[in-house]
Amino acid sequence: MHVLDALGNPVRRAILQELRAGPRAVGDIAAGLPVSRPAVSRHLRVLEDAGLVQAREQGARNLYSIRMQGFASVREFVDDFWDTALARLEELARQ
Amino acid sequence: MIVKSVVLPLRPDAAFDLFTQRINDWWPPDRRHTRDPESEIFLLASGRFFERARDGQEAELGHVRSWNPPHLIVLDFFIATGPEHPTEVEIAFSPSGEGAAVTVTHRPKPSSESLWPERSPRYAPNWEAVLTGLSKAACLS
Repeated sequence: MHVLDALGNPVRRAILQELRAGPRAVGDIAAGLPVSRPAVSRHLRVLEDAGLVQAREQGARNLYSIRMQGFASVREFVDDFWDTALARLEELARQ
Repeated sequence: MIVKSVVLPLRPDAAFDLFTQRINDWWPPDRRHTRDPESEIFLLASGRFFERARDGQEAELGHVRSWNPPHLIVLDFFIATGPEHPTEVEIAFSPSGEGAAVTVTHRPKPSSESLWPERSPRYAPNWEAVLTGLSKAACLS
């Protein structure tokens, strides 16, 4: 899922706001929001797939934190895309 | 704005045909929207710009706004930002010595501007502005 799809949901934006202060476990995030803990887990999985948060194990629980690289993706994706594409175009033209 | 250029050992009309008719051969296989590395990509004068996977699934990659062979193509580009927030790609073909220069200019449109920071947000002093900008661009409810 792309960054924008992931951010197009108010609960997920609220989760990111919660994580601004630092890494948090699922239960702590859910405590600050009007949604159930399983719902928070599902939203975290979407945010993780989009590259916006990362999880690390601490004992029996996962701690989630913001992944800054995820927010840079559009421009970087496009830059890298055209570098690769034009190199391939040049190779094709030389054949 | 991103500007990338390459000089091909072809005349501009041949470069234009290579770019449009053999798009399947230069489009990076790991950047297929349908996740089928053998999907087919079509960039057509009729305006359609889409991808078709082997199972028949189709995905619109953008829309052709201007088709002016062998000089210029202008696209609305949906990849990375989605059809609600397209970016704009201009592909210009011009004579360069014995060959043709292909110049790609890729820039945000007003609806995708906040998704396209000139500076990478990872270097921003804080990421709140970035998140606010992205959230505004994502459909707010």
